[in-house]
Amino acid sequence: MSSSPSIPPIVSFDGVSKQYGDGPLILDDIEMSVNKGEFISLIGPSGCGKSTILKLISGLAPITKGTLTVDGMTPENAREEMAFVFQEPTLLPWKTVEKNVETLLKLRGVSKDRRAGIASQMINLVGLDHAPKHFPRQLSGGMRMRVSIARALSVSPKIILMDEPFGALDEMTRDRLNEDLLEIRAREEFTAFFVTHSVAEAVFLSTRIVVLSANPGRIHEIIEVPFQYPRTEALRDRHDFHDLVIKVSQSLRSVEESAHAARKAAVA
Amino acid sequence: MKKQLNWLIPVILGVLFVGLWYLSLSAGWVSPYLLPKPEAVLQEIPNEWDRFSNAIQQTAYASIVGFLAATGGGFVIALILASNRYVKSALYPYVLILQMTPIIVIIPLISIWIGNGIGSITLITFLIGFFPVVANTTAGLTSTDKNLLNLFKMGNASKAQELFALRIPYAMPHFLTGMKIAGTLSPIGALTGDFLLGDSVNGGLGYLLIVFRQAADTTAVFSLGLITCLLGFVFVASVNLIHYFALHQWHDSYNNKDA
Repeated sequence: MSSSPSIPPIVSFDGVSKQYGDGPLILDDIEMSVNKGEFISLIGPSGCGKSTILKLISGLAPITKGTLTVDGMTPENAREEMAFVFQEPTLLPWKTVEKNVETLLKLRGVSKDRRAGIASQMINLVGLDHAPKHFPRQLSGGMRMRVSIARALSVSPKIILMDEPFGALDEMTRDRLNEDLLEIRAREEFTAFFVTHSVAEAVFLSTRIVVLSANPGRIHEIIEVPFQYPRTEALRDRHDFHDLVIKVSQSLRSVEESAHAARKAAVA
Repeated sequence: MKKQLNWLIPVILGVLFVGLWYLSLSAGWVSPYLLPKPEAVLQEIPNEWDRFSNAIQQTAYASIVGFLAATGGGFVIALILASNRYVKSALYPYVLILQMTPIIVIIPLISIWIGNGIGSITLITFLIGFFPVVANTTAGLTSTDKNLLNLFKMGNASKAQELFALRIPYAMPHFLTGMKIAGTLSPIGALTGDFLLGDSVNGGLGYLLIVFRQAADTTAVFSLGLITCLLGFVFVASVNLIHYFALHQWHDSYNNKDA
């Protein structure tokens, strides 16, 4: 995605590496700049550090080397502008749907009335208007994830970080949530970083797909996704969609094969 | 039918038991001096009500105050232990040592330091009940879901917000489990304390037990046993009710199928 050079990227990685203590290198020399409004998917074999990239952007984990700026700031200072959607719905089980959606607003000291207003708006947006008084355990996995997304959206974040949010869901629910996510994004305008194992999901959602190699995690290839938004389910039936899925799958396979070969070499 | 069996079987068993009780008396297998008739046990309660009612009040007081102290004190101790890894590793061994010292060894010390009577008995009840609260609550406070902690971190939550809006409510089921155990232990603690340090003028059920034993009044001992059973039952039922109201809406331990 090329934009005019006068607008700085919203997230930029400059020679970023990550290592926990004396452990192995998790990420090595990551170079990437992401513009406002992009939808970036991160895909790669397990252990390639794709979740770690989200942790670095969010400031939940510090970088070891290089520079990482988020909206011109350090990740930690930019936290107010970000929201994290975890792999699990990560809800407070003792709070109702609406109170869960209000969690982040409450931490920010937003007044009770405004909180309730925003929460009901977000609950409508994710299609849960029939269940605001339900407790998490009364909801299906897909509905819980919708609550989690509503909570992230409640703070109108500039950047949303999603760590395999739909990985535990069945395919139909996942497709439906993908479509809804794009619809929400058309209205709420955020930049997204999305970790996934599903190539089709990545192609359907993203402006760009970052394919990572493992041990240590490096950027193997960045693939542009040319399809115009709004994207609907009809896109999934198109030939050019399938062609791109194949292309990304091949890239991913070459990465996995070399990872496999490296493991074999290490054993031998 | 299966549901009815759930209560029918214990009822049948109870009837058989009482039948056997009567049979063993009428057949002369056991002397009534050793095993009084069931109705004599029941009659003894109104007959001796003056002594019983005062003793029940004393023991109930020690149970309730000791229980509240164990629950509140245990919660505060758990908060301190969970506040910081070093505090926990410094203090927890001593909490354990206190717990592992048999209460029977501590009781004479309490008697020497504080004397006999209701205050000491309440202290014994506290000592018996507080550890399960401490152990469970500490476990709850230190096992907060990591993603939820990260969520609060992302929301720039203060330490106080994290504690009151996340860690304490997250530990509630653990705390309430500790409270349930303390609830079953408290009447036993009050009875034991009273048995050993009871006041001869204003004694509780434990002291009354000594009086009855010395008089070899088997019937009265049986009646007293029945009363302590009921007292314990009321106590545990109340605590379970608190547990239910705190958790039934959201916690998996109350799994409504219609939810």
